[in-house]
Amino acid sequence: MQAEQDSLEKVVCETEVEIKNADGLHMRPAMQFVDIANQFDSDITVSNNETEVDGKSIMQMSMLAATYGTKLKIKAEGSDAAKVISALRELVEEKLFGEPAP
Amino acid sequence: MKFADFVCFKATIPELQAHDRDGAIAELVSSLDKAGKLGKGKCKELAGAVIKREKEASTGMGKGIAVPHVKHKAVKDVVAAIGQSSAGIDFSALDKQSVYSVILLISPVDEPDKHLQAMENIFRHLQHEKFRKFLRQCRDMVQIEDLLREADESSSL
Amino acid sequence: MEIKKGIAVSPGISIAKALIIDSEDYRIPCRSIEASQRTTEIQRVRNAFKGAIGELTEFEAAQDKTEGGKIKDIFAVHLRFLHDRSLRKKITDLVHSDSVTAEYAVSTILREIAAHFSKVKDAYISERAADIYDIERRLLIQLLDRKREDVEHLTEEVTIIARELSPIQTAGFNRKFVKGIASDAGGRTSHAAIVARSLGIPAVVALEDLTESVSGGDTIIIDGNRGIVIVNPDDQTIQQYKEYSKEFAELEHKLDAIKEKPAVTRDGVKITLLGNIEFHDEAEVVLQKGGEGVGLYRTEYLYLNRRSEPTEEEHYQAYAETVSVLQDRPVIIRTVDLGADKYTQRKRFAPEPNPFLGLRSIRFCLQNLTMFKTQLRAILRASVLGDVRIMFPLITNLQEVMQAKMILRDVMDDLGEESIAYNKDIQIGIMIETPSSALTAFSLARDVDFFSIGTNDLTQYTLAVDRGNELVSTLYSSSDPAVLRLIRTVIQDAHKAQIDISVCGEMASEPEYVMLLLGMGIRTLSLTAPMIPEIKQMIRSVTVEDCNNLARKVLGMNSERQISNYLRAAARKILPEAF
Repeated sequence: MQAEQDSLEKVVCETEVEIKNADGLHMRPAMQFVDIANQFDSDITVSNNETEVDGKSIMQMSMLAATYGTKLKIKAEGSDAAKVISALRELVEEKLFGEPAP
Repeated sequence: MKFADFVCFKATIPELQAHDRDGAIAELVSSLDKAGKLGKGKCKELAGAVIKREKEASTGMGKGIAVPHVKHKAVKDVVAAIGQSSAGIDFSALDKQSVYSVILLISPVDEPDKHLQAMENIFRHLQHEKFRKFLRQCRDMVQIEDLLREADESSSL
Repeated sequence: MEIKKGIAVSPGISIAKALIIDSEDYRIPCRSIEASQRTTEIQRVRNAFKGAIGELTEFEAAQDKTEGGKIKDIFAVHLRFLHDRSLRKKITDLVHSDSVTAEYAVSTILREIAAHFSKVKDAYISERAADIYDIERRLLIQLLDRKREDVEHLTEEVTIIARELSPIQTAGFNRKFVKGIASDAGGRTSHAAIVARSLGIPAVVALEDLTESVSGGDTIIIDGNRGIVIVNPDDQTIQQYKEYSKEFAELEHKLDAIKEKPAVTRDGVKITLLGNIEFHDEAEVVLQKGGEGVGLYRTEYLYLNRRSEPTEEEHYQAYAETVSVLQDRPVIIRTVDLGADKYTQRKRFAPEPNPFLGLRSIRFCLQNLTMFKTQLRAILRASVLGDVRIMFPLITNLQEVMQAKMILRDVMDDLGEESIAYNKDIQIGIMIETPSSALTAFSLARDVDFFSIGTNDLTQYTLAVDRGNELVSTLYSSSDPAVLRLIRTVIQDAHKAQIDISVCGEMASEPEYVMLLLGMGIRTLSLTAPMIPEIKQMIRSVTVEDCNNLARKVLGMNSERQISNYLRAAARKILPEAF
């Protein structure tokens, strides 16, 4: 996790996560992701190697269709950037969205 | 509801000893009892209940399948046991043919929806000729379990 | 004045002002707006989202908890989409940048997204396109709300003009104000036509481009006898039609007079005439027209046009009311025949590619036992109130009968345990409406108490024709030799097994088929109430002997054209004023 301070208020946090649940980022996990992201103020972008989407938009997140093993970069920008990155990482890599591993 | 959710694989009888309907039912009930699925001492009462119901209206669905079932307080959750008979048993089925696969289904008294879900599942898979054929071809408990688990995974077999 | 020709589907004449309504697939006016209106329009978008979210949240709360994860998931997904800020922003941005209406923006953006989804390789994602269309519809309903009100709050007589009409829409029409119906699409035997007929509203369909030639408020003459629609008629034409209308009313009156007379042939054979109903308040009309009971009570309407599934009480109330009107006359309740319609298709995560041949009707019920059980319980409870009989639709094989009967038995057990009364000996019958059940009728007959031949679906499945598809609807014909042979087989098998048999399809309401059906051995017909007097008139004018001869001749013919011409000529001789 890298933290850079652009200005007094804006913090940028980035991390890379790997999809570890068997069925990947289908609708239910995408909803959980978006729900958590929307609890925070920071802007959140998620990218695989091809596209970058708004982590707070269910529409865009569901288009990612990330399968098991896919690596995603999550970037948060805002005062609570660190907190949201931590929460999202926990959801994806530790809780596995509450879904079974393969 | 999937087969794996309610079928007691341990209680499967790949080749029923009984050659008559009532005997087959009693055998399957006993098997569930041995697998620890029934309340203490309920075995005989339960078998009697299933047989009584079967006498009133045959559950022989045709195409070699019968689904004797009853709601009873002997169980806390929906449970089923599968028994097969290569020689065939007379269940007074609709199509007058022998029954080769018996699926005994016992449901708790106060969970009508779970009972229905299990029935839906049974109906759905037993409609498929392939499934019925494969089931009949199974020789042992493991094969039957594999078949049912496979059926659970795919929507059509 | 413009004269347009279509297909006459419901007899009668009407002269009233046009009211144009949109079909379920809303035609979106690609209307531009003034730059100054943009703010208002953007607010409309916001309000629509708010309204849709409110509606869905209500739905979600009203869902039966036992439905389980699947339906709750659908709501959760839709709600998330509606809460998605980037979605709303895309729409409002379009309103702003292109100065377009909220409806246009919603439709454009959502269709773009749906298209995007369908292209994704992951099947799960691509199926979500259906959800996007549903969300589009929901938002449009919010936006176009005022238009729908137009039909529900009429204060003067109108002629409804639409591109196409669903049976639900048609059923919702208030007979007091809706005097006539005309649509661009549709066919002779489409459900909407059937509903128009049973409501007694003159209707003409398949006019193709009527909606383009009419403006709201134009005077419209509907000639439901000859299939003509006249837009803005001149005074002379109006006068002519007023007289014609009077004559027609007189004929109806004459037919009404035979209501008291029995349906007996000239050589003394009694024919039982029952009514087909779709709503429980049609039972009255059946009796008014001289029907002796209900031979087909279609129960789908209890499910359509509403947000949640009907409760057992709602079922029971409908059945109890119907039985109380009919007292001790037979009421044959058909279990729900849903699946191929838009209602169930929309509820699916992935609509079926071929719903006509898919999970519909009894198959749908056997895979939705909770819903099925609710209806069966209500029917059984009502069975102590009168002569209630149960009928299962679209049976294709013995297993389906067995499964349905097994569930019925389970329900009976439940009621017994709860000490709720029901008729243990309730008669159980099936509809014969597929080639497979027609060809195996002999074996099905052993395990049911009666058959009813559903000639509509039987004809469709046998001839492989969709009667609602105007491109092929002329191929649909009950005079087809293949269909007739199947019907004859079924009748013979029923007689051999000594079970009751009736015909409840459209064929039973058409005067030119009366002699043929009687000649093939039918003694019970169930048809739409308004046609009962005319059919009775036919029956009273023929002898069974003549009918037998006619049937023998017809069953030896090979061409549909030859058969239908022959039948029409024979009927015209008996009852010239009906043709």
